[in-house]
Amino acid sequence: MKYWSDIKETLSTNIELASQLLLLTLGVYSFVLAEDNRLSKVLVIFIGLMIWFFFRNKTKHPIIWLMFFSLLVIDLFQSYFWLANHHFLIVLMVLSLIFYSYHKREDFLLKNIQMLLVVVLVSSAFQKLMSSQFMSGEFYYYVFNRGGLFRSFLNFSSESLEIVNSNSESILILQDKDPNSNENIVLKDIVPNLHVISLIFAWVTIVFEFIVAIAILWKPKHRWTHLLLSLMILGILCTRLETGFMALLGICGLFLCGNLKLRLLYVTIVLGCVTMMITKLGFH
Amino acid sequence: MASSRSAFLLKYGIPSIAVVVIIIQVYFVNTHNLSKWKGGGYGMYTEIHYFYNQIYIPGMSVDSLLKDDPNMKSTLGYLMLMPNKDNLNEAAKLVLRTTKKDSIHIQIWKPTINSENGVHSRALIDEVYMKTSNL
Repeated sequence: MKYWSDIKETLSTNIELASQLLLLTLGVYSFVLAEDNRLSKVLVIFIGLMIWFFFRNKTKHPIIWLMFFSLLVIDLFQSYFWLANHHFLIVLMVLSLIFYSYHKREDFLLKNIQMLLVVVLVSSAFQKLMSSQFMSGEFYYYVFNRGGLFRSFLNFSSESLEIVNSNSESILILQDKDPNSNENIVLKDIVPNLHVISLIFAWVTIVFEFIVAIAILWKPKHRWTHLLLSLMILGILCTRLETGFMALLGICGLFLCGNLKLRLLYVTIVLGCVTMMITKLGFH
Repeated sequence: MASSRSAFLLKYGIPSIAVVVIIIQVYFVNTHNLSKWKGGGYGMYTEIHYFYNQIYIPGMSVDSLLKDDPNMKSTLGYLMLMPNKDNLNEAAKLVLRTTKKDSIHIQIWKPTINSENGVHSRALIDEVYMKTSNL
């Protein structure tokens, strides 16, 4: 039982805990990206580590956060259009933490995180709403038939897996042909009525994203809000192992959440995602 | 007054940067044909990934052009990510210089799908013809 009281004690300081988890995620993410633009990064890492090693207890500046922030900004400048969407989110989360280390106002930090989360979810839902390929269900139809989503579950159905492989093979054969010949192929559905399922799934995705965004905007600390957010994160992880992005959403949830059990759920999700990122079983 | 303004900035300044990034992404999507998957607008999983776009150069293998040529990989990669006239021209110039041909015809295609009947085909996004004399 002492373990539970230790866990509860750790979970009670959620801003500190979320900051530590963000630093861990940031470290793993930066390590994975370290090879990109490495010449620009080498000096930043070396000087950052030297300053942190010798002066971390003698300066009021958050050296390690500033070093990671510089690394993220280097990638922004050099590979802006190639970066994953959560790169932009992590840059702004780190910036919030850097500001927090100076102003020390928890309410400002939590407002930053809350609004960032709302902006991300609303934008994601709007982008889907504006995409005719998504709204017609064609996007989901295509990726389902290519095995791009729910891949882990496909392994339990040999028939569906066979169809996915056959579709992928047909697409590869088509790609080898001159596209000007206007040839086409017919994809086989991995399950019956897939076009209807895809359409319903598209609407469910948008409605759920809007509901979570409104809940975070309206009641950022409420238990139900965090139940919905954690459900959304777990749902996305089931469809595809977007572990880097989901770790960040989990950390945002942890910053805002007031319920100890849900904080534990967030910590479990984030650590699971970070583990998947380190082992490269999930996306960084 | 000054402190309430700085409090407002500290609360909403950073989320406002996120909104600005999204506006820039939407601008590039609509004017430069940037894939919705990129640019910080959170438009991932809204359309088929740009990775499935196909560059077609009649009489030439794109795979062999890409082999051991980082510059070609970067230029053609950019064309897949943002298939517009400028990037097509850049790609055409590079291919002409690399292959030393007199002229080149490059097309960029995207996959299309009809979920009603499962028909998968390809649609031409854009194309360019270029002669060495135009370089």
